[in-house]
Amino acid sequence: MYSRVNYDTQGYRPNQTEKYSLDHSLMPPCQAACPLLMEIREYIDLIAQGRNMEALQVIRSGNPFPSICAYVCTHPCEDSCRRGQVDKPVAIRALKRFAVEFGGDRMVQAEAETTHQEKVAIIGSGPAGLACAYYLRKLGYPVTIFEAHSELGGMLRVGIPQYRLPRQVLDTEVQRLTHMGVEIRTNTRVVSLDLLFDLGYKAIFITIGAHQSLRMGIEGEESPGVIDGATFLREINLGLKPSLGDKVAVVGGGNVAIDAARTALRLGACEVHILYRRSRAEMPADPVEVEQALEEGVRIQFLVTPTRIKRQDGQLNMTCIRMELGEPDDSGRRRPVPIQDSNFNNVFDTLIAAIGQAPQTPSDFHIRIGKGSTIQVDPATLTTNRAGVFAGGDAVTGPATVTEALAAGRLAASRIDDYLQHRYPLPPKEGRKSLAGDLLPRTIEMIRKISRLEPQILSPEARAKDFGLVESVYDWQAAVNESRRCLRCGMGAEILFQDKCATCLTCLRVCPYHVPHLDTSGAIQIPVDQCQACGVCVAECPAKAIVLRKPYDRRQVTEELNHTLKSAAESKLKPLIIGFCCQYGLFGTGALASLWRKTGAGVWVVPVLCVAKVESDHMLRAFEMGAEGVFIAGCGEQCARENTADWVRQRVGKVRKTLREIGLEPERMQAFVSETANADVAQQMDKFSDRIGNLYLASIIMQEVKR
Amino acid sequence: MIVAQQKPLEETRRMIAPYPRVLILGCGTCMTVCDTGGEREVSYLHNALRVAQAKGGNGTHTFSEYTLKRQCDAEFLELLADKIKDIDVVLSLGCGIGVQAIAERFPDIPVLPGVNTSFMGMAKERGVWDERCAACGDCRLEETAGICPITRCTKGILNGPCAGTKNGKCEANKDMDCAWVLIYKRLERLQQLEKMRRYYPPRNFRAIPRPKRIVSKANLNTGGSNG
Repeated sequence: MYSRVNYDTQGYRPNQTEKYSLDHSLMPPCQAACPLLMEIREYIDLIAQGRNMEALQVIRSGNPFPSICAYVCTHPCEDSCRRGQVDKPVAIRALKRFAVEFGGDRMVQAEAETTHQEKVAIIGSGPAGLACAYYLRKLGYPVTIFEAHSELGGMLRVGIPQYRLPRQVLDTEVQRLTHMGVEIRTNTRVVSLDLLFDLGYKAIFITIGAHQSLRMGIEGEESPGVIDGATFLREINLGLKPSLGDKVAVVGGGNVAIDAARTALRLGACEVHILYRRSRAEMPADPVEVEQALEEGVRIQFLVTPTRIKRQDGQLNMTCIRMELGEPDDSGRRRPVPIQDSNFNNVFDTLIAAIGQAPQTPSDFHIRIGKGSTIQVDPATLTTNRAGVFAGGDAVTGPATVTEALAAGRLAASRIDDYLQHRYPLPPKEGRKSLAGDLLPRTIEMIRKISRLEPQILSPEARAKDFGLVESVYDWQAAVNESRRCLRCGMGAEILFQDKCATCLTCLRVCPYHVPHLDTSGAIQIPVDQCQACGVCVAECPAKAIVLRKPYDRRQVTEELNHTLKSAAESKLKPLIIGFCCQYGLFGTGALASLWRKTGAGVWVVPVLCVAKVESDHMLRAFEMGAEGVFIAGCGEQCARENTADWVRQRVGKVRKTLREIGLEPERMQAFVSETANADVAQQMDKFSDRIGNLYLASIIMQEVKR
Repeated sequence: MIVAQQKPLEETRRMIAPYPRVLILGCGTCMTVCDTGGEREVSYLHNALRVAQAKGGNGTHTFSEYTLKRQCDAEFLELLADKIKDIDVVLSLGCGIGVQAIAERFPDIPVLPGVNTSFMGMAKERGVWDERCAACGDCRLEETAGICPITRCTKGILNGPCAGTKNGKCEANKDMDCAWVLIYKRLERLQQLEKMRRYYPPRNFRAIPRPKRIVSKANLNTGGSNG
């Protein structure tokens, strides 16, 4: 009996095999770390191509208020970015800000139609409440937001200082919500949920935040001149101007303490001291913020805590004690232990206590309160002990980040929808597998090191004066360069057709990162956690058994070529020149804009994402479809890999040889992948198109002569 | 592994000239590994022929392409049975064995060799192949420290080196190592230099009949006509 060989996978053509349509990419660590699961890798790649508006679309699809996150996100994505294992993580938050500002976020108009009758009340207008309102409106529910303060935004408005989040940004987002038809009731403190139900609301989402500062529990805490951090920031942000005196002390080591200290400095305090009972390593505040505070002149005294406050002559005489670090506590940080007899005294005008906050839920809500005054909910459904009442945000978690609050709001919206439509709450969608594992040292060694570009920030002197924004946005070039540092984790190559693989070891030999390896059974493995998705093995595999994991990457060059050829066929311009041009860098930054102007002379550009992905087949196909000349323009020295140009030259060499065999001039095929300046390339291109023009003219004359 | 080289495009075009419908048939084993007739090369040749046709204008062909796992086994060729109904010729990018296997299986369709089957060898690096074995049927590698003088010595002598060796290189090609110097060095390393002292009588190539046949299964009468 003969055994049959299954050839189902033969011929890798669009829409012919089911495998083709499947996305095999894994979730990158940055996305997995994001509470909102934003498609960070995707929008970073779009920024690298200069496609900011599309980048913004990707961002907006996962984040209701990208402009807010762009300023104040604590970017857990950057902490898990694997570029950090090579040099430093990609500046994801700053890139998002670039995309938001240059992608036309202000022009985005959110619209919503009311398709449901059930009214929903949202108590609190912090990020969780706003996000919930946004998504509920999108789902078609009439939504009312109740806010106790005079303006919307919750902690975004009253907690975060203006130098970190400009108020226009917040206003724009709020305005967008109003446009969507969200009813807003400011200066309205909700005291009873029953009342809301009586008013006809079918579901209530409580996001009252954590605004109540914790007490230090020391003698003299009630003296005038002592204020808590949250109240202090709230007063400033709602337009009050408390007088602080010259010497201000801030107690605490979190972001609120840093914000309070920097705000005090901007209000004119001469000396601002932060007293923190642990050391710098244990500080929960964002290290960048701490650094900026120090630059501005804030002094931080570590391992110090106040024990007694005495008001004397309009000033505060504060007794402090020094601490040392003992055994780690529940939070994993080392517990501070007072040192005996290390008391010392200090005199301040004002003391701001910022040692933490807790939610304060009115008792008339009749909902169950758990540890640390937080509201108890089912984490999967956000339901409380009362039917139709949901809770989320800081009120449930205790003080947390904006992104977590947005994620809670989004979850609440879908759970409230489930509740109102009498649906069983669906379990979360089976997500893509996330990428696990660190880069191996030998892979790291082969990755080109590119230093991280930080966005410009104002000088400490200039920024400590007022509440103006500290950080500037990237310029285009910087954003493109920074986004090109992305390692594109989890979307690399895979041997999709194991039956085709002849184990020829080509992939193993051509990989710039030495990623493919032979396993003990003699099969080639391309570990997804090491692959950098450069596509060299894909273009070289003699069996065409390797593909990139994302469907778009697999067909990109072919599809763009077909599209370009189709457009070119309708054009009357001769001679036709097809150029495969790298979309990163060159065109992303517009450095080769002169090329586009050439389009009038019959130059058609096939945009490709790295010229290493252009196969010899593509070049020949361009000739077959009537191109008189074909060229490849790479981004040169900006490329993430050093040997891209070699691969391009090899393939071009092969095509030139074939052209000669056919009887065409080999110089019709040209590669511009120089490592030198871009202007040079533009000049070479001009020469090339002239040459092709001459060849074309000559061939027409020859035809005439033959007749 | 069998190593081959694609025929010059001109020759291929001359061969296919009489046939309007051409199936370019790749082979997924040796020809894929030596970058000559795998799926990528099939598609490249296809494109090259189409460009030549578009630019040259000598007759028109319709091409189709297909790649088999192996052309040298009849079972794989069964997959072609339907395909060859619509074509006039098979342009095989398999080695000489594949071409003959197709000819044997499909007596009514012409088959053309798209490659020149060159030798048995191995990859030196990506894209470079070296000959290593002449398939002489009488292996002497035990005596020559695992280095074959039949293939790697230009003269193929069994009692080397000859007088033409200079600085370890061959007189025929200054870039090529003298196989016998390599053998000497390796024997020295293995402390078996006495093997250099032995004399190997000339081999009687006429005693090896062609075509050869190897039978590995038991209980079968061997011999008789074989080819």
